[in-house]
Amino acid sequence: MRIAAAALCSALALWVPGALAQPAGPTDPQIAAIVVTANQVDIDAGKLATTKAHDKEVKAFAQQMITDHTGVNKQATELVTKLKVTPEENDTSRSIKQGGDDNLAKLKTLKGVDFDRAYIDREVTYHQTVIDALDKTLVPNAKNEELKALLIKVRPAFVAHLEHAKSIQAKMSK
Amino acid sequence: MMIGRAALEVSRMRRLVGRTGLVLFMAAVGLATPAIAVNTHTVVMDGTRFIPETVTVKRGDRVVWVNKDPFPHTVTAARAFDSKSIAAGDSWSYVARESGEFAYVCTLHPGMKGTLIVQ
Repeated sequence: MRIAAAALCSALALWVPGALAQPAGPTDPQIAAIVVTANQVDIDAGKLATTKAHDKEVKAFAQQMITDHTGVNKQATELVTKLKVTPEENDTSRSIKQGGDDNLAKLKTLKGVDFDRAYIDREVTYHQTVIDALDKTLVPNAKNEELKALLIKVRPAFVAHLEHAKSIQAKMSK
Repeated sequence: MMIGRAALEVSRMRRLVGRTGLVLFMAAVGLATPAIAVNTHTVVMDGTRFIPETVTVKRGDRVVWVNKDPFPHTVTAARAFDSKSIAAGDSWSYVARESGEFAYVCTLHPGMKGTLIVQ
């Protein structure tokens, strides 16, 4: 018993300073900026894909991404306006924006099936990254209950997008 | 005397009109009742889910799907019914005329599934 208790104490002693040394999670204004930027990046990629995609299903998927992510952004913007939260740019939102710009630049150089493949591959990794960010960073750190509820509410749609993108990806690799 | 008789006639007429009015009113209610008796069931689309996921209704009942998500959904059962796109905030209503168990999906978010049981 004594050994177990001592082990627990030392584990806590190790854990607590470690936990305190962790960088603070994003604030609500930062989460708002991350959400809006992440949606916008996918809307922009979708807009390019509706004009450049070769495959009909890829085009339809791109149109749905524009519609769904525009809807999410509209609701997120209405909520933060109501809550009087001003989105605050941060390293994460800037990195998402940069990633989106790089992706657009790359996609613009591609055509036909190559474009479709690159766009869908990116949609798979993008949605997986967003879902991971929701689970590990955004939902756990959101302070306002309504903001947290919105993040939880939209998550299943992102999962559906990921599954949809993966199924197109699988068809294209055949 | 004449005035007295006239007054009696008017009073009789009033009673008659009153009774007729009541009968007419009751007839109207009687006619209106079957329309009100049709049950309406509501399924909410929220968080990319159908809530409740399974709904059981009687033949002739109406089912209304209300989209509370910020993007469109569909209510689609192969060879039975298809709402096509239901925009954010809109709803779609369907009268269940055929009995059976109908599995349906949102074609835009295929993991979103529901079942309509018509008895």
